[in-house]
Formats: sequence, C-alpha cells, structure tokens
Amino acid sequence: MAVIEKGGSSSGSSGKSALAFINDERFRSVFYQLLVGAIVLVAGYYLYANTAANLDARGMEVGFGFLGSTAGFSIAWSLIPYTPGDTYFHVFLVGIGNTLLVAAIAILTSTFLGFVMGVLRLSKNWLIRNIAAWYVEILRNTPLLLQILFWFLTVFALLPSPRQSLEPMTGFVLNNRGFYFPSPQPGDLFFLTAGAFVIGIVGAFILSKWATKRLFDTGQKTPVFPISLGLIFGFPLVVFLVTGAPLAFDLPTLQGFNFVGGGSVPPAFCALLLALTIYHSCFMAEAVRAGILSVSHGQTEASYSLGLKPSWTLRLVIIPQAMRAVVPPMISNWMNVVKNSSLAIAIGFPDLVAVFMQTSLNQSGHAIEIVAMVMLFYMTVSLSISLALNQYNKSVQLKER
Amino acid sequence: MSDTTHSDAVFRPKPSLPPPPNTVGVVGWLRKNLFGGPIDTIFTVVGIWLIGTLLVTVYQYGIANAVWEANSYRECLDTVLPNGEKVGHSGACWAGVAVWMNQYIYGRYPDPEQWRVQLCLAILVLWLMPFWLPRVTAKIQTGLSAVLTFPFLAAHILLGGEAGSFLMLTSSLALALFVTVWLNVITSYAMNKSVGKLVVELTGMADKDDRLHKWVLLAGFAVVFLGALAYESSWDLVAVPTTDWGGLFLTLCISGIAIASAIPSGVILALGRRSKMPVIRVFCTMWIELFRSVPLITILFMAVTMMPLFLPVELNPDKLVMVIVAVCIFASAYMAEIVRGGLQAIPKGQYEAAQALGLNYWKVTTFIVMPQALKLMIPNIVGNFIGLLKDTTLVSIIGLYDILLMAKASGQDPNWLGLHAEPMLFAAGVFFIICFAMSKYSQHLERTIAGGYGRR
Amino acid sequence: MSMDTSSVDPTSGEYVASTMSDEVVIELVQVNKWYGEFHVLKDIALSVNKGERIVICGPSGSGKSTLIRCINRLEEHQAGDILVNGTALDTNVKNIDAIRRDVGMVFQSFNLFPHLTILENCTLAPIWVKGLPKAEAEKIAMQYLERVKIPEQAAKYPGQLSGGQQQRVAIARSLCMSPNIMLFDEPTSALDPEMISEVLDVMVGLAETGMTMLVVTHEMGFAKKVADRVIFMDQGEVVEQNTPDEFFNNPKSDRTKLFLSQILAH
Ligand SMILES: Nc1ncnc2c1ncn2[C@@H]1O[C@H](COP(=O)(O)OP(=O)(O)OP(=O)(O)O)[C@@H](O)[C@H]1O
Ligand SMILES: [Mg+2]
Repeated sequence: MAVIEKGGSSSGSSGKSALAFINDERFRSVFYQLLVGAIVLVAGYYLYANTAANLDARGMEVGFGFLGSTAGFSIAWSLIPYTPGDTYFHVFLVGIGNTLLVAAIAILTSTFLGFVMGVLRLSKNWLIRNIAAWYVEILRNTPLLLQILFWFLTVFALLPSPRQSLEPMTGFVLNNRGFYFPSPQPGDLFFLTAGAFVIGIVGAFILSKWATKRLFDTGQKTPVFPISLGLIFGFPLVVFLVTGAPLAFDLPTLQGFNFVGGGSVPPAFCALLLALTIYHSCFMAEAVRAGILSVSHGQTEASYSLGLKPSWTLRLVIIPQAMRAVVPPMISNWMNVVKNSSLAIAIGFPDLVAVFMQTSLNQSGHAIEIVAMVMLFYMTVSLSISLALNQYNKSVQLKER
Repeated sequence: MSDTTHSDAVFRPKPSLPPPPNTVGVVGWLRKNLFGGPIDTIFTVVGIWLIGTLLVTVYQYGIANAVWEANSYRECLDTVLPNGEKVGHSGACWAGVAVWMNQYIYGRYPDPEQWRVQLCLAILVLWLMPFWLPRVTAKIQTGLSAVLTFPFLAAHILLGGEAGSFLMLTSSLALALFVTVWLNVITSYAMNKSVGKLVVELTGMADKDDRLHKWVLLAGFAVVFLGALAYESSWDLVAVPTTDWGGLFLTLCISGIAIASAIPSGVILALGRRSKMPVIRVFCTMWIELFRSVPLITILFMAVTMMPLFLPVELNPDKLVMVIVAVCIFASAYMAEIVRGGLQAIPKGQYEAAQALGLNYWKVTTFIVMPQALKLMIPNIVGNFIGLLKDTTLVSIIGLYDILLMAKASGQDPNWLGLHAEPMLFAAGVFFIICFAMSKYSQHLERTIAGGYGRR
Repeated sequence: MSMDTSSVDPTSGEYVASTMSDEVVIELVQVNKWYGEFHVLKDIALSVNKGERIVICGPSGSGKSTLIRCINRLEEHQAGDILVNGTALDTNVKNIDAIRRDVGMVFQSFNLFPHLTILENCTLAPIWVKGLPKAEAEKIAMQYLERVKIPEQAAKYPGQLSGGQQQRVAIARSLCMSPNIMLFDEPTSALDPEMISEVLDVMVGLAETGMTMLVVTHEMGFAKKVADRVIFMDQGEVVEQNTPDEFFNNPKSDRTKLFLSQILAH
C-alpha cells in the first residue's frame, strides 16, 4: 500500500509541481522531526536565556561547587550520622538514607499486611471478606497525605509528654518526642551468634535444594520447614547461650525532661510509616486478590483430581501461577512507596526532599542543581526497579503458540 | 420406531424436593458463610466483635458525645455530658467544622461572590448533561468544547476584574459554544432536529449546495459569538485574586484542569512514544519516564522554585498557574502510559484493515484506533482521575489553601486551637465519597462496555 | 495394550470386548444433591463393576457433570452414600485423598498446568503424591505420553500444543497416577472434528486395557463401540440404562427416544 502510494506520488506528480516532495513519506518524517527538534531547541534556548539572565540578576552561578560547603543547619533525625558542620553533599546522603530507610520498612510492612488483607478478601467467611473489602475501599479512597496528617496530628501529637510516657513493655517507650526502644549492644563474642545466623540461613537454603534433589531422586519428602526454623533460629540461639549471651540492651531511661539511651525515632517517622503501611497495603491487597483470582478454578480441580492435597495444590499449582500476576503490580506499588515517602515533608520528617529540596535549596538557592540531583536519585531507583521487573516478566512469561 | 410406540414408558420427572433444611435459608447461609467450621466461627466472632467495637466507638464519638454548637474548641471540650463528665476528647467537636465549613469549601473566596463558584459548577454540569440525554447528537463535539473552552469561561467568571483580551475572546467563545450546545439540546427535543439543520432550513439554504451550509453555520455561530462577547464585555465583576481561592473548590479546580488536559496531552505523548520517528519518540519517552519516576512533590517544588528562573521576570507567573502547570505535566505522563496500554490492546489487524481501506495515519488513528482504545481504557482513566484527585492534596505542602490545608488551618485558629481530628475526618469523608462514587461508576461503565462488546 | 489400531474412525469397527468382573468398585445409593434450592441429583442409584465402561448422556443441564464430579468429591452431595472401592465419601479428608488418588479425571477444558512443561505436568502428582523418584516418574510419564502418541512434545508447554494434543496430555497425566477408575467429562466437546478422533482413539485404547471408565459424552459411536452400559439422564435422574444395543435400537422411554432422535438427526 505504502509502496504504491509513494511510487504514485513521486512519479505521477513530479512533472506537475516542484512541491511534490511534500507528499513523500520520508520527507515528511524528516520534516516533522526537524520541526519538533527545532521547537524543543528554541524552547530550550528561551528557557536557558531567561535563566541565565535571572541568575545574573541575582548574582548567582550554576555549579556543583556549593556541595562542598558547610550546610550549617541541623537535622532532627538521621540514619547516617550528621552534624551541622557537614557539607551539603553529606545532607544529600543523609536525606537518601532516611528516605530509603522509611521506604524499605514501609515496603516490608505494607506487603505483609497487603498479603493478609488480599487473602482475607477471598475468605469463604462473608463477614471477614466484607470487613477486608471495606478496609481496602475506605483507605485507598482517601488521600495518603490526609492519612499522614491525621495520624500525625491526632495520634502522635497527642501523645503524653516524656514524664507521662506510655510504656507498653519495659524498654519500649512512646511519648510526644518519639518512640524509644532498647538498642542492642553486642559484646565481643556476639559475632559468633551473628555468624551462626548467617550459617543457619545458608544451611536452610542448602537444605531446601537438597530436599528437592532427594525428593526427585528417591521420592522421599523432607520436613524442610521445621528443620529450617531450627537452623535459622535454634542454632544461633544455642551459640548465643554457649558463648555466654554476649548481648546487652541499652534501655532508654528518663533523665530530666527527656529519655536518653536506646534507639529512637521521631513521632513523624511513626506517623509516616503507619500511613504508608496502611495506604499501600490496600493496593497490595488488590494485587494479591486479582492474582489469585486470575488462576482459574479448573486448575484447582485438576490438581485435586490428581490427588494433590489442598496445601500442595496451593504451593505447586496456584501460587506459582498467581505470582506472575501479583509481582508486576506489587513492584510498581513498591516504587510508589518510595515516591510517596517524600510526603514526609508535610509533617517534618527529614527525608531527601525535606532536607535537600527544601532546606538546602532555600538556604543555598541552587534550585537547578538540587532539583536535578533529587530527580536523578528518584529516576535511578525507579529505572533500576523497572529493569528488574522487566527481567522478571521475561523469565516467567508463559510459552504460547 | 413407530411400532414400539404403544410400549413406551412415559417419562415423568420426579418432583424436586426441598433441600435439607440446614443447607439453605438463613441457617444454610449462616452455616456456609459464617460458621463453616471451628476456625470460621472464631473468625466470625472476632469480626463481630471488631465491627461492634468500631460502631460503638463511632457512635459515641461522632453522635452521642458530639458537640454541635460551640464558639471555641475549649467550649467543646468543656461541654458537660448528661452523666456529669466533660466531653473532652471522647466526642467530636462538629461545631468547629460547622463554623469553618464555608472555608473548607470556598477557601477565602469572599462570601458575597461565592455565587460565581456555584454558577461555574452549574454551567459545567449543564454543559456535560447532553452526555446523558439520549436524543442529543454530537456528543463528542460537546465534550470537546467543554474540556477545551470551559476553563477560560470559568477563569473569567472566577477571577473577575478586568479580563485581558485573550481571556475575553476565549471565554466569549466558550459562552457561545455553551449556548450553542444548549440550543442544540432544545431543538433536538422540541423539533427533533439539530440546531445546525434548523438554521440551514430557516435561512432557506436547505436545498442549496451542501458546501454552502458550512458558511451559513459559521455565520450563525459568529452572531452568537459576538453576542457573547458583547455580553461579557458588559460584566462588572469584583476581582478575586487566586490567593483567595481555596478549599474544596480549589482542589476541584486544579484536579479538574489537570484531568481535562491530561487526555489530549496523554494521547499526543503516547502516539509520540509509538512513533517511528526517532526524535519524536525519544523526546516523548524521556518526558514520560522522567515525570513518572519522580514524586509529584518534586515536580511541584521544581515548578515553584525553577519556573521563576526559567521565565522572564516581567511575566511574574501566578503561583496557582505554576502549580496547575506542574500537575498537568505530571498527569500527562501517567495518562500517556494508560493510552499506550490501550493502543497496545488494539489488534494489529485493525490497523491493517484500515490502511487497506486507504486511510492515512491520522485517519486510522482518529477514526479507527482511538475510539476503540479509549473505550478499553475507561477503567484505567477513571482510576487515574481518582489518583490525581487524591494527589492534588499535595499542593497544600507548597502552601495553596486546598481543602486539606484549610482543614489543617482550622486547628491553628486561636479559637479552635487543636481541632484536628474532626476537620480531617470531614475532608476524608468528602474525598471518600467522590472517589468511591467515581470508582463504582467506572465499574458500572466497564460492565456496560463489556456487555456491549458481547452483544455485538 | 494394542494401541496401534489407529483406524481413521476410532469409533467404527469391532465392539471392544468387555473385561468386566463382578467386583463392584463404585456404589451410589440414593444420592441427592442440591445447588441452593435447586435439586440437581434426585435419588441416583448406580453401581459400577471393575472394568465396566459406562457412557452417560443426556440433555444439557441434566446433571451429568455434577454426578461424576461427586464421585471424586469435586462436588459435595447432601444425601445418600457414595462408596468408591468400598470407602465412603464423607467429610473425612483422608478418605477423600485416598479416593482421588485412585480416580483419574479428564475435563472438557483440559486444565493442564500452564506453568509446567508437558513432562512436569505428568510427573507432578506421581512425585508429590506417590513419592516416586523423579527419574522413575519421568520414565512412566514417557511411557504414557508414547501411548497417547506425543512423546516428542514432552519438553513443551501446554500453551504450545493443539487442543487435541492437550487433551491427550491430560489423559496421560491422569494415567500416570495409575488410577483404577477414570472419569471423563465431555472430553471431546471443546475440540475440532479432526482432533476428536485422535482423543477418542486414545480412549478406545484405554478401554481395551480393561480400565473402569465413566464417560460423559455425546459421541454415540464411541458408546456403541466400547460401552457396557449407556445411562441416560434427564432433570437430575437416571431415566434409562441399558446395553448400547438395546439403548439405541429399542429405547424404552419416550424421553430417550426424543433425545436419540435429536442427537442422531445430524
Ligand atoms: N455451581 C453451581 N451452582 C449452581 N447451579 C449449578 C452449578 N453447577 C451446575 N449447576 C446447575 O446444575 C444443573 C446441572 O448441571 P451440570 O453441569 O451437571 O449439567 P450437565 O448435564 O453436565 O450439562 P452439560 O451437558 O451442559 O454439561 C444445571 O442446571 C446447572 O445450571
Ligand atoms: Mg457438563
């Protein structure tokens, strides 16, 4: 079709008009592209010229030199140690550390809660099914920012002062300054317990491989789960006790008007984590539900009629198929958790956006560089996650005719 | 076989018996759905306890112990319950919400001018109404005219003051289009013909060459347009700066514009990303990937910190405008991926069939592919709208007084210091109702569309 | 095991001699089942001998599928008894497991596991349920795949096979558990005509090995060739049961006649 058209236009009209080439497909393609390119360039130049003029007027220069200068402000809480004397670049790293910490914990908790809610939504029990459904409907249809503010302003801001702290368990303290918990102080020989733990995990991994091989070779099943539990938790415990329990806990204690010692996170961290967990668990639940529903009932029936028990049917037939449908939306949800952790700024938790894009930017004025750096960080995270996702999709794609 | 007819045993089906009583009816339903086994029973009991506690708490807090009239939060807290105790935090202080209600909805938009907001809403509803009127034709044109020109009319009405010539022209065009749409509705119902046809008939051009009709219609529309322009020039509205806009009204304003702009820009970006021309493809892909991978709040920050650098100082862009631009950019990238998904779902055969009929790229896209793809995309588009509406709350972080910041602000008012939970719950209720209704409507649309495909 | 009698029409030719014994393997006594208020199975009484081949036919919605699905408890009956190999089907999970191990089932829609290869489909249950070593399970699976004439497809995935091939794999997959009883629920009705004969071919071959078979099908040629008994159901009850000869040539009930005239009309 295209060939005929092209041939027709070039041969048929070339004699009539010198403008015939405007009907040529290739010419049009090049023309459009040049046009778009030119528009982008002109717009880019316009913005560049304005920016240069504006910066000039303010007596500023673009450059990353400011990253080496002292930030001077303090950061309320950080995973990476920080003092006001540190540089802007260090602030950038501190922000990344805080962002990744809250996002990582929220990913774990929301995924777990989401799995539970997703399975409950498919419960045979009418009441449970409906409770789970309303949980999902109500919480995913209200804005996350609103939920964050709600938890922060109405729960964590109303907590008692340090002197009247809540202490549900010895060493775990909750008050309006934050959540305090015992921080472990490993002794000299503790590395042996840690080592035993690692060995336990490796051992459990090897065991499961070996169990599969044994099953295939001899047809005998191995109770992998209890043995693994023993390896991962029992073995380190034994080592721990034998080496004389070389682990002390530094308990938070009230001194004057505040708690010292132990570990702590600010109230904003708790509110953010709670809201992220609850909000995203709704989306995870939907993904899990849709994934399980995507496996047709015929699969279960076929498996049952082969004599596979319900638990094996779940493990060998349903879950492997459901995972294909669950993992992609699940991973994009994880991405959203990372992005939404930036709402921390609304309640003053010092994440990357708060410490760098707000405080540092306001103080140094280097808007372009800072915005670019922050965006680059989020793009890197996002692109690496989608790369992993593509890899996964490729590896599980069903073979079709 | 006729020889055996008389020896036939006649088949009389056995009567259907009622099932065993414990498998049907209320008992059967309870056994099946709530008390299927010991574990199920435990779950049910826990569930009932959970719901019971929740309902009692909500009733206690929201109704029984709630205070409906008071002049300050202190007064709320100190109100004495029938049992002699003070309310404190055991009951909601709806009085504060009631006092602030007007600002949750309109922000600081002056009271005597609030009819303008209501008028805009009424115009929008009326403009979109023909969608649900079965006898009216030209639904696509109606929708397009609303999406493309209503914002200008609304801007003129809401901003008031001296409108620049650009806003004057575009808003008059919008008004003219709106009037035409409704003339069309009226003629469709009263005379069973479209307004265009009527005009052609009235001017006696009906039997003339079809090509002339276009000019007649254009002339007719020009008359309406001039009328609208004259009418709008006579307006004398008090200027209300955008800094006074706020509340739910502002939230809907921003999200509405973003939603309206997202569809066309998303379509263009999606087509660009699928284009065979590398320059266009790379540009669109970069745009989409960049703005999808960063949080909205960074785009908003970029808008308010970098836009003033990018633009000439004289322009001095309004903060609201910058925010709207940022939200639109964000929305366009997400919509582009939805449109791309919809386009990918259209079988290749459709393109080939259309090309075989001799349609060129633009015709294939507009008349064959897009209509089908848009139908497939409706659930995702609505989902995206819901997300966008919720995300609009982020503008509160950079200091626009949307419903969320208003709700927060009411707790910082000296009279109502500490009033946080109630405004938040109110705002949550508003969002829930809007979003839940939208998602139910989209599920309904999804079913009707699926049904439509099935029947055909 | 003379599977190489691959005639063009598997259902034509000699009647396959019965190997039926007196031992009863399936016994249904006054079985009743309801879906909500709807009475699907009414007082079904049926006893099946070892090696017996039974074809069940009847109009759509008459309860044929429901009946055979009750036999391996994919559906639960509410009244009456079902005994398989002398074991009663009740809520005892051990009994259900034991019976399912001994009863194979082939579905109209194949229900192969799409995430496993053909060979893995066939070895999954032998490895996990019977505890066979993988190598042995694969050897057995290959034997059955050869019997259904698709050993060369073993490494492919179900999605890559035609409908007829998939159904033959489904049969092989069931046979790998060496069941004593096989249930077929309209195994050919989702297939194109040329694929039907390749599946029926396999089923005829299976009949020749003396397998106890309950087959829901409308393939009357198959019934004539292998059935010891044809059961006609309507509205949830057994209207008539007889040898194929009597059933087709001398039906007793007016309902059966009507059904036969409709089904043989084309
Ligand atoms: N899960 C179910 N819930 C409610 N009713 C059902 C269910 N399964 C089947 N039925 C009803 O029970 C009746 C018998 O169904 P069944 O599938 O056994 O019929 P069938 O004889 O196999 O028909 P077909 O030849 O169409 O497969 C039908 O009227 C059907 O509508
Ligand atoms: Mg059936």
